[in-house]
Amino acid sequence: MAIEISNRLGLANVKSDYIHSAGRKLEDIHEQLLELEAKGEVKVIHIKDENKPIEANTLFGWKKKIPTNKIWHHKSCGQCGNIPGYPVSLLWFMNQMGLEYVDERNQTSCTAWNYHGSGTSNPVGLAAVAVRNWHRAYELGLFPLFHCATTFGDYKEMRNMLVEYKELRDEVRRIMHKIGRELVIPEYIVHYSEWVHVMRFEIAKLKKYDLSNIIATVHPACHTYKMIPEDCIYDKDIYAGKRTAVSTGIALALGAQVADYSTWYDCCGFGFRHILTEREASRSFVMDRKIRPMVREAHSDVCITQDTGCTTTLDKNQWIGKAMGYTEQVPVMADVMFAALACGADVFKIVQLQWHTTDWRPLCEKIGIEWKKSEEEYNAYLEELKAGGKTINLYEYPK
Amino acid sequence: MEYDENGVSIVPSGFKREIFEEARKDFRYEEYVRGCLNCGVCTGGCPPHRFFDFSPRIVLQNMKSKDPELIWTMMDEYIWACFQCFTCAMICPFLNSPGGIIAVLREIAVRRGFESAKKVLKPYSRVLLKLTAYGNQLSPDMIQPDFFPDWGPHIGYAATDLAAKRKAIPMPTLQVTNLSWDVAPEAMKELYDIFDEAGVFKIIEAVDPSLYEIIQDIVDDVRSS
Repeated sequence: MAIEISNRLGLANVKSDYIHSAGRKLEDIHEQLLELEAKGEVKVIHIKDENKPIEANTLFGWKKKIPTNKIWHHKSCGQCGNIPGYPVSLLWFMNQMGLEYVDERNQTSCTAWNYHGSGTSNPVGLAAVAVRNWHRAYELGLFPLFHCATTFGDYKEMRNMLVEYKELRDEVRRIMHKIGRELVIPEYIVHYSEWVHVMRFEIAKLKKYDLSNIIATVHPACHTYKMIPEDCIYDKDIYAGKRTAVSTGIALALGAQVADYSTWYDCCGFGFRHILTEREASRSFVMDRKIRPMVREAHSDVCITQDTGCTTTLDKNQWIGKAMGYTEQVPVMADVMFAALACGADVFKIVQLQWHTTDWRPLCEKIGIEWKKSEEEYNAYLEELKAGGKTINLYEYPK
Repeated sequence: MEYDENGVSIVPSGFKREIFEEARKDFRYEEYVRGCLNCGVCTGGCPPHRFFDFSPRIVLQNMKSKDPELIWTMMDEYIWACFQCFTCAMICPFLNSPGGIIAVLREIAVRRGFESAKKVLKPYSRVLLKLTAYGNQLSPDMIQPDFFPDWGPHIGYAATDLAAKRKAIPMPTLQVTNLSWDVAPEAMKELYDIFDEAGVFKIIEAVDPSLYEIIQDIVDDVRSS
């Protein structure tokens, strides 16, 4: 039986002037990084005026600059392979706003999904891969924006280790010299969801549909806010500053209702290794700990995510729930995809929901989006491409 | 290797101590294993604890005991139950990181090519191959109905007309089927050099020698291109 709650908005839009930050005594890694730069130990990729930064508060009230322009897109393996509407929606917004960026082939995976799944790497390998990709952004004069939450968590961790351990810096510097690169570290490690968060009011100006009847539930990614938690955005106007603000912030800015549910803090069940090799654990977790509470407690119309693995795990593992008699279903998409839908992006060509498994059509119909027309146009476009037609791109490689 | 009357291998105590010392010498050890009040908040919040015989509190207590026998008991399947979500690290009042020390123990298990690690990682070889040989962790053509039948009938969407559907994605980097994005060969070559220098290829050789040979063939081809 569904649980009825009187206040389905939960804590999402509760405001507070009080931020509790007692307890932890951590040093701000940002200050230490600048000290190393002053000593000539490392080069720092600074956020400049041309990056049009917007400041946000992190867990302990420290300031974090989020660059909004002149971005180097550090793509995600799972998003590009499996959820293509994720990066496309982000680029679509940047085009709408006339912002500059580069998306190119000269990028490798962060390799951290593999590491957390299999253990087949080590801090030197992970840090060297991180610095290699950071340096590519540096030599182009751009600031890197990381699409994947595991990349974000891993790179925050690698930055901290590189700042704290000279031996690791020396070893990574040696490897960088071997491949013709230098030891550089970004001033801040920035996740795309932080870009969406600080741009939420600009994004909301592009809104085409009324979302006031849409109930969203947010699934925050563990590697966004549990790995190096002090470097994640909190806002006293969202959850009263008691939970991370990203993703909830954009849903509220777009006018959707954001409902609370009892397992908000739980992970998605991805488990890195488990999603591929112990899937019964992942799918049980998805249904029992996330989807059923979202639907039964919050009557959710859409589950909003901020990461690759979470989006895949929560979307793909609902169908099999029917074998257990579970009838609860809710479409899953990233914050930026939900925002793109709300702002009139094409369901098929931009948001690319056709790759998703759980039915998203009822959500579109509730919002008022004509997905059937979009599907017809997309199918005709596919036929054109099969006949040798040219793709209409959002972006072309720099000449 | 010696075996007991039940056919279970007898591991010398000296070897177990060696494993513990290897973990303790890791530069991350002091950061991950601090004081532990045994409060259990880590286990209370631990997602896999709900589905597996696994507790981050036990992991911390075993490490704190400095008893090689207790630590050895975790080196088999126990450490592989962890989701690596770091809920434990976030909520620990003493700033311990059970998830972090598990990562250290897993590194030891694969570096030394433990049979348990080989067994656990066998179904994971497709991802290892894709990542180490091409610089991406998965690709659109890996999402096939026969591999993911529990993801429902719609999963077949990616199995038909994949080339055209990928071509329809309006980002040139994504218009390939065998990689998530089209990684430039120069980026792959730099990644290989990093894997060589950091000992990552050696780790893969220890845990899956056959896979290592396949990867090296691809690496040689890309390097010579």
